[in-house]
Amino acid sequence: MAPMIRFENASVTYPGGVRALRDVTLEIEAGQMIVIVGLSGAGKSTLIRATNGLVPITGGDVIVDGQSIRKATPRQLRQLRSRIGMIFQTFNLVNRTSVLNNVLLGRLHATSTIRSLLGWYKPEDVEIAMQALERVEIVEKAYVRASNLSGGQQQRVGIARALAQQPKIILADEPVASLDPPTSHVVMRDLQRINRDLGITTIVNLHFLDLAKVYGQRIIGMRDGNLVFDGAGDAVTETVFRDIYGRSLTADDMLEASVR
Amino acid sequence: MTAAAGVGVRPQKPGRSAVAPIAIVAAIGLTVLSLSKELGIGLDLGELIEDIGRGREIIAELLSPNWGYLPSTVGPMIETFQMAVLAAVIGCGVALPVSFLASRPTTTGTIGYLASRSVLSVVRAIPDILYALIFVAAVGVGPLPGILALVLFNVGVVAKLLSETVDGIDAGPIEAANAAGGTKLQTVRSAVMPQILPNYVAYSLYTFELNIRASTVLGIVGAGGIGRTLLAQYKLFEWGNVSVVIVELFVFVLLIELVSIWLRRRLV
Amino acid sequence: MTAATAARSASRPVPPSRLRRHLALLGLLVVIAWAALGIDVDLEKLVRLPGGVLLIVHRMFVDPGLDFTYLETALIGMLQSIEIAWVGTVIAAILSLPIGFVAAKNVSSGPISNAIRVLLDAIRAFPELVLAVAIFIPIAGLGPVAGALAIGIHSIGTLGKLTAEVIEGIDAGPVEAARSVGGSTLQVHRWAVLPQVLPEIVAFWLYRFEINIRGAAVLGVVGAGGIGFLLQQTVVYGRFGKAGMALVVVIVATILVDTVSGWVRRRIIEGGGTRRAIEAELEQPELVEGI
Repeated sequence: MAPMIRFENASVTYPGGVRALRDVTLEIEAGQMIVIVGLSGAGKSTLIRATNGLVPITGGDVIVDGQSIRKATPRQLRQLRSRIGMIFQTFNLVNRTSVLNNVLLGRLHATSTIRSLLGWYKPEDVEIAMQALERVEIVEKAYVRASNLSGGQQQRVGIARALAQQPKIILADEPVASLDPPTSHVVMRDLQRINRDLGITTIVNLHFLDLAKVYGQRIIGMRDGNLVFDGAGDAVTETVFRDIYGRSLTADDMLEASVR
Repeated sequence: MTAAAGVGVRPQKPGRSAVAPIAIVAAIGLTVLSLSKELGIGLDLGELIEDIGRGREIIAELLSPNWGYLPSTVGPMIETFQMAVLAAVIGCGVALPVSFLASRPTTTGTIGYLASRSVLSVVRAIPDILYALIFVAAVGVGPLPGILALVLFNVGVVAKLLSETVDGIDAGPIEAANAAGGTKLQTVRSAVMPQILPNYVAYSLYTFELNIRASTVLGIVGAGGIGRTLLAQYKLFEWGNVSVVIVELFVFVLLIELVSIWLRRRLV
Repeated sequence: MTAATAARSASRPVPPSRLRRHLALLGLLVVIAWAALGIDVDLEKLVRLPGGVLLIVHRMFVDPGLDFTYLETALIGMLQSIEIAWVGTVIAAILSLPIGFVAAKNVSSGPISNAIRVLLDAIRAFPELVLAVAIFIPIAGLGPVAGALAIGIHSIGTLGKLTAEVIEGIDAGPVEAARSVGGSTLQVHRWAVLPQVLPEIVAFWLYRFEINIRGAAVLGVVGAGGIGFLLQQTVVYGRFGKAGMALVVVIVATILVDTVSGWVRRRIIEGGGTRRAIEAELEQPELVEGI
């Protein structure tokens, strides 16, 4: 069976000349939960955004669910994105509107232009959104304004929005970087549960190594746009760590240690 | 000054930037030029003080309004109100898509962006009275040319303010809607509109207020409303009647403003 | 839908009532319909309008086309309008600064501040045109002086209010410091308040100048001189070549002044203060925070 995601010598060079991804080759099987670790600026975010084409690749190709990102027309790219849910560090919710309307953003791909302009979502799409909210246990807030929720609650709405797409893949870009440690674990456990229960291929960027070791079936280390490690969580030793971070492990790299 | 010896070298007073003095000199020069008799408008404070007496009779007449005239102003006043409503509705409706085109986060491309921006600055540069003059010349006097002039005026104001608002919104939700596979139009509707809606409502009410004031002006060139009545009485030197219209307008504008403040507080 | 209904957990909230929103929308629609049906616009004119406007544009720019012999007259007229606007703005700036201090609650006393605020609102409610027609043309006679005075007095309303609001928003620390070293009230205003507020206030003056150029063009129509008078005369008498020339001069000059003034404003303060100025007029402080 072909892998769900395949990077083929993929490179990304930004207009300013920064090479954020250098010749990356990588295969990810359907249903895996992958954690990417590395310093900020190592290319984690670029790798994630190259997967759904939010950042255009400038060399090589990325094949996602059989679709080449490089050759995709804008329409094909939209169709592909509708099969990929995305979760953001800053949640990216529309603050001034209700939680339900935010989750319904995940149903845009299934909604006609006219319906979405009028804000008349189909009852079955509302049902899908409600079930997504139930899965992250926050359905009681459906009609509350997004800005009135706590950070952890907002991120769960972000997850529900991704789930409402009924995606094959979920990309999470530093989903817990704006949250406190207990909430971080809640959100990571939600992601893990969704990966296991629904078999959705999940890629998560994390800054903290201890979180990565707990939740990642497979850990990918990045440094300066290159892949420097690819293996199981237990295989991450002090030496591997130095390869990824360019220095020894400190308290700042551990979620639990950094709060003490 | 023996104490000074102990503190070391005192710094020299820094040289000041030349920009501010140049600007001040330019502003004063422009004012002098504008006031002069030969090149400017010829404003002379001494003459003005002498002249103040000249207006006394007229102002005395203005201070005794002829209230019997009030009933004949009701019709034009209602017309003014209707013109303001229609122009605000149409103008704000047109301004919404234009402002999306004229904002970086929502525009369709460089061409659409630059084109809409330049059209907007031309539309805004033409004074509303000129639109009214041209429309009156095209179809004759009446409220229609007035409404159209106000529509263009409103499009200019609202599109400018709204496009600045869109430029300043949180881009996160736009990225989220893109990542979920939304089309451009869907993204604007579901990720941008909720963010700008309060401003849009406030700006719309604001242009409605502006329209009530502006329609006095437009009436003067024959574009309908209370302004036409005002000018007719002014030309007849019926100061008692002019006074009634002015008082009425004053009360009306204040009332509209109060209602509009109340509405904004409730809606936003 | 039975399966879906069964799946609903008990904790699902009830959608909030949208009755009030629907009623408000309905009310708005009724007002719009009343305005549209009640107004005396005949459709025949609406149909005739595009053709009529196109014909005028055609006469302005194609046949006979722009009348360049009129360029000098139009430029002089525009210059006069700009001068009217400038003098009006200078008058308003000079008078509104002290008024703004007196109207600011934190440097003045409550009752005085409120009284001045009401006065400023009253001034704002009189359009320049009414001031010109009712007060300044009778006093100063037809001509640009009446226009400049009308614009100056009207602008005090907005500028005084804005100045007061900027002063109310200042950092109280320096004021306290100046008081504590024994400064007199005037000294406190000069050295602790003015430096904090001046850039923003100057930006508002310039913004007001941009608005006043448009106002000056309007006043020309009632006999206050400037480009407005020329525009009216040429259009009314069907001299569209000349009117087109005047139109081009208005557009180019206005965009030019806006650009220069906007550039200076943005150099003085970030964003140039346009939105702040309008939102202050809107009496909507919470909107400013949201931006």
